[in-house]
Amino acid sequence: MTNIVTPSTAALTEAPFVAPYAAPENAFDEAFEVNRLPRLAWQSVMSAVHELGAEGMQDRHLRAQRILRDDGATYNLKSDPLSPNVWSLDIIPQVMVESEWRVLEAALKQRAKLFDLIYKDLYGEQRLLKEGILPSEIVFSHPGFLRQCHGLNWPTDIMLTFHAVDLVRDQSGRFIATGDRTQAPSGAGYALENRTVVSRVLPSLFRESQTMRLAGFFQTVRETLSKLALHLTESPRIVVLTPGAYSSTYFEQAYMANHLGYPLVQGGDLTVRNGKVWMKSLNGLSRVDVIVRRVEDAFCDQAELRSDSMLGVPGLLEVARQGNVVVTNPLGSGLLETPAILAFLPQISQFLMAEELLLDSVETYWCGDTNHMGYIEANLKRLIIKPAFRGINSKSIYCHQLDAKGLADTLAMVKANPVGFVAQHYIPSSYSPIWDNGVMHARPGILRTFSVATDEDFCVMPGGLSRVADHDDQCIVSKRLSGSRSKDMWVLSDSTETDIDVPLDNLPTSQAQAANLPSRVVENLFWFGRYAERAEMSLRLMRTIFKQLNGIDRFPTESREVLLGAMSEITGSLPGFQDQPELIENPNDELAALVVDANRVGSIKANLQQMLACAEQVKEMLSADTRIILNELRDHIHSVDRAYVNGLPSVPEESLDSLVTSLLAISGLNHESMLRGMDWMFQEIGRRTERALLTANLLKQTLSRPLPSLQQQQVLESVLLSVEALISFRRRYRTRARVSYGLDLLMIDRSNPRSLIYQIEQLRKYLEELPQSEQTVLGLSPDKRLIIKSLNDIQLADLESLAQIDESTQTRADLAELMTQIIEQLEKLTTLISDKYFDHTAGPQQLIKAKWKNNV
Amino acid sequence: MKYRVRHLTEYLYGAPVTLCYNMAHLLPRDTHNQRCLSRRILVSPTPVYQTEGEDYYGNPTFYFSVQEPHKKLAIDVECYFEIEQNDLSNQLTLHGLTCGELRQQLASASSTELRMVKEYTLNSTHIHRSEELANYARSCFQDDIPVLQASMDFTHKIFEEFKFDPTATSVSTPPEQVLKEKRGVCQDFAHLAIACIRSLGLPARYMSGYLETLPPPGQEKLVGADASHAWFAIFIPDLGWVEFDPTNDLMPNEQHIVTAWGRDYADVTPLQGVIFDGGDSQALNVSVDVQRV
Repeated sequence: MTNIVTPSTAALTEAPFVAPYAAPENAFDEAFEVNRLPRLAWQSVMSAVHELGAEGMQDRHLRAQRILRDDGATYNLKSDPLSPNVWSLDIIPQVMVESEWRVLEAALKQRAKLFDLIYKDLYGEQRLLKEGILPSEIVFSHPGFLRQCHGLNWPTDIMLTFHAVDLVRDQSGRFIATGDRTQAPSGAGYALENRTVVSRVLPSLFRESQTMRLAGFFQTVRETLSKLALHLTESPRIVVLTPGAYSSTYFEQAYMANHLGYPLVQGGDLTVRNGKVWMKSLNGLSRVDVIVRRVEDAFCDQAELRSDSMLGVPGLLEVARQGNVVVTNPLGSGLLETPAILAFLPQISQFLMAEELLLDSVETYWCGDTNHMGYIEANLKRLIIKPAFRGINSKSIYCHQLDAKGLADTLAMVKANPVGFVAQHYIPSSYSPIWDNGVMHARPGILRTFSVATDEDFCVMPGGLSRVADHDDQCIVSKRLSGSRSKDMWVLSDSTETDIDVPLDNLPTSQAQAANLPSRVVENLFWFGRYAERAEMSLRLMRTIFKQLNGIDRFPTESREVLLGAMSEITGSLPGFQDQPELIENPNDELAALVVDANRVGSIKANLQQMLACAEQVKEMLSADTRIILNELRDHIHSVDRAYVNGLPSVPEESLDSLVTSLLAISGLNHESMLRGMDWMFQEIGRRTERALLTANLLKQTLSRPLPSLQQQQVLESVLLSVEALISFRRRYRTRARVSYGLDLLMIDRSNPRSLIYQIEQLRKYLEELPQSEQTVLGLSPDKRLIIKSLNDIQLADLESLAQIDESTQTRADLAELMTQIIEQLEKLTTLISDKYFDHTAGPQQLIKAKWKNNV
Repeated sequence: MKYRVRHLTEYLYGAPVTLCYNMAHLLPRDTHNQRCLSRRILVSPTPVYQTEGEDYYGNPTFYFSVQEPHKKLAIDVECYFEIEQNDLSNQLTLHGLTCGELRQQLASASSTELRMVKEYTLNSTHIHRSEELANYARSCFQDDIPVLQASMDFTHKIFEEFKFDPTATSVSTPPEQVLKEKRGVCQDFAHLAIACIRSLGLPARYMSGYLETLPPPGQEKLVGADASHAWFAIFIPDLGWVEFDPTNDLMPNEQHIVTAWGRDYADVTPLQGVIFDGGDSQALNVSVDVQRV
């Protein structure tokens, strides 16, 4: 059968590994022969599992989980950034030998070529319809047949760049195609992540098995995409268009974009001008030549396709039609995913290629064919009824699960709209071993394969995304990627030579890309910085207040009023404590809410959530270490939630410490490990402005009210404590807690990285380095003017007079006024930065349409 | 007969529109009896980008994008063309293909023409076949009645039973509602007729165009002149697409000028697209003038 080299045959003969389970009789067992001994291809895997033992396997399993989580490998992220679903991976690889793979590969190439020809025919000459090879109703009534996409300009022979196939193995071990993905196939990125993880947790097995590498496939992807733009430019700009962070496969999109070295953009990051597509970036508009889309056909252009789309680029289709941008897979290709095509595929193959199909599809009948209806009616009980046109709510009906009434209803439904349904035979999937709770189980599984076009042919990824049912009782693996467990697919090479391997991290230089980030990305990083700082400042003040409340010293009413009032101000949850004597006496519930109530805008948890949401939006920009810290932060938030479940705990500050530590770790990491690119710069600008704003606000709230000396000292020390300056203060001024000394340290001390002046000087440095628009402004630009004004205001301030109490108002009016002025200037600065560098286009609206009634 | 058509479309916005992308079906197409002699299209403000093309149905398209801020968008189309007589009324008594025969031919779909014409028997954006719609037209399209005669009778039935009322409906009023309320404009009548005919398994398509503004001496002015007009056509194998105008109870001859056809209004919308900004209010003025020259 094969001549595979099994490195551990010796070990095998000593300890034969016997199947610990039996696959159902009607299903093919992937790993074991009928005699329950491992198949040849699986011997090395099975002996490795055997040698590792339950403990070893469990250990590898946990390591894999940790890597996946740290990589941010998620699926189906819902609106809650706190609990993403980690991608589910089983560490036992799925194995196939090269000789068997080559047969499948040839069949998959043929199938990809066929689907490319079908696309070109249906959106071109339509010979398939004219000659009656494919019943025209299937195409004409398919909502995915986008007539607007008829006759797109295309620079190369093959239009269908990506093609994926879902396969099952029937009882005899033969592969059968159950469906095709032709529009924006997902899964190739997950396959790559699976490979990365499994080869890390089972390194020696991977090395010794001579597994064929995936890198060549991704290299071909890059080459093919570059060639798509050769008619436009020699150095094409290629982007990946994502539906956004809440798309279920967002991780994969970000991962692929990073791996291929392309910017990940959303519809709003692109704009059509002068008949071309441009990316809105920091440096202005930069031309885009190729768009790899993960957005569905109809949502790609509000001008000509669905006007209610939130994901598209208005005007895109026209640019694509004229060949001034290449959108791939080509728009309209979703049509080919209809299962109705499967019923006619052999004839189509004969007609378009004069070839027999090398790969069978699952037996399919189109209900719109009156000749098939008789068969469908007679065999309904054994069939699956599927909508011919995949919609949001389309569901397959497994007729063997129905009673008599269910069958009658199904038949009536089909007969009412026969064109809209197909009937398929059910093929029991083959069974593969998985590692679950310390034991090896057998689960039914399917395989998704991926092909990418080359000049005249297709290149198939040697491997794929193998998925098995997540639970024991599932007999059907979901079509979607969720609700199943994935496996790494290994094709074991026949030759002992390692194949020519392009290193996985061979990324094209990302220099140009870094200079040209989409505006949305820098905006998210800016806000990431701001939210992080806001959370940190509130946390610090909160901890200080808790210490005072539960401290040994007296905490008189005036001090409480000032500090609690400042807390409400800093978190922006007014009126809060301000002028609420009762609340100030019993502050616990309000304080607890300011910590853990995510629905309170400005609460610590809300800020952290916003910060995580920003991080999610720019996932592809985060370093591996940042992701690890963010994961820890998520864990810490959950533990704070638990600690606060019954209101304020007895030691309320305890659980907050770890949050502060995580936030510090993030800013430390930024400082030590991030390249000083625009991404870093904007995160820093966000952080510095926020810190300056909050510090000015804190000083204004806490120090402008004169207090009796004990209270004054308590408040001043609390403020110093919350900004980590109390020790330095005491060292420098001993015990003389004068307000002017405090101002010295917090306002104008350049050596204090938390002082106001420090923030503003940093901001001035950063602004110098930001790209400037070409139009020349006479003198200083408005943003720089604001910075210099603020610097001067602070430097020229007379601290003693700021600390003076104004007779008429009985406040430190000068201090309050100066801080108010600085806050205003900083807020103006953020608006200027935002106007200049971020994108504020509102979505498009539809033109009203003329109705024929103007003649009266 | 030669005609000159002048079609002005004006959009007025509450606030400046900064950017727009539009696809227009405003230029007349060539048909078996209609030929465009010359055409001119002017958009103000001047688009930075414009192309002429052809859509899936072979209709001429005009795509443009304006990138300068504007509170008013004007599209001025002028074209000259020639129409030959296309009098099919004599066929009404001569052509004997019955509705039953046509349905059978479609079911067997033995020719390329019949396979491709199926597109017009199915649902489309504005048209969803239903039993209710079928019932309304069933008596006209009995199996033993010639298709041509049936279509004329049905055209007459709509003309008699429906009231022309520009206030009753909007662009998106479904045919079912038009049927219930028995009033609407040419577009509604065309959609209703198409929906009924498709519900009975026959192919019908939407015709969009103009009517001659001033009638020849001694004839009455037709309803729907001075504006864009809509009517329908039904497919009869050896005659091709035969047109009927339910708003005026007649078979178009040389006074109907075709700009585009498709499955329904959505395929041939005169001007579609999106604008950026522009405030909350939009107003639309359309004027059409069709003269013999």
